[in-house]
Amino acid sequence: MSASQFDPIPMLQSEPDPAPAPSPEGEASPIREAIAQAISEHRVILFMKGTPEAPACGFSARTVAVLQALEVPFAAVDILPDPRIRQELSAISSWPTIPQLFVGGELIGGCDIVTEMYETGELEQALA
Amino acid sequence: MPSAEDIKQRIEAAIAGARAEVEDYTGGGDHFRATVTATAFDGLSRVEQHRLVYAVFGDEVGGAIHALALRTQAPAEIHTH
Repeated sequence: MSASQFDPIPMLQSEPDPAPAPSPEGEASPIREAIAQAISEHRVILFMKGTPEAPACGFSARTVAVLQALEVPFAAVDILPDPRIRQELSAISSWPTIPQLFVGGELIGGCDIVTEMYETGELEQALA
Repeated sequence: MPSAEDIKQRIEAAIAGARAEVEDYTGGGDHFRATVTATAFDGLSRVEQHRLVYAVFGDEVGGAIHALALRTQAPAEIHTH
């Protein structure tokens, strides 16, 4: 894969602060803000387990494979280094599972929806 | 450890007009694949439909239920795909 297809977000990949505490529902946290900013700044962004080069879960791997099959450039965020990323992401998206694909700031879905939309051609339209 | 039948019954009890087919695809009681048809899905996007099913299980999805693969549709959609 070319470097242009992987756009890491340093802020989300930094070491976690000591003594992390999940923020109460609805309260802004730096991680939540960084996630929201990443979603708004990248037209196509995938939150996944592992990286596009080394997915750590079959569902993430399948979703990456779909995006690569469509030759779509996308940003990717590995949620595994810090459990708060997944907590805050799910709080933002009201979606409990990983991966999560966002296009134009909107949640497209997880692996099942992405795969289904790829098969029907809807994903290519959504990404066009 | 939930069985595929448990998952099916919980979905059908919680969502209006739902019919679910559930498969435990690893046999381990923690990875399930569900196809759900429900009148409650009428007019909802796929994301909203999946959220309704996930909401049945709350924190169990990602916890005791490691994976719940979903295919959802409103009854009216069945013959249009």
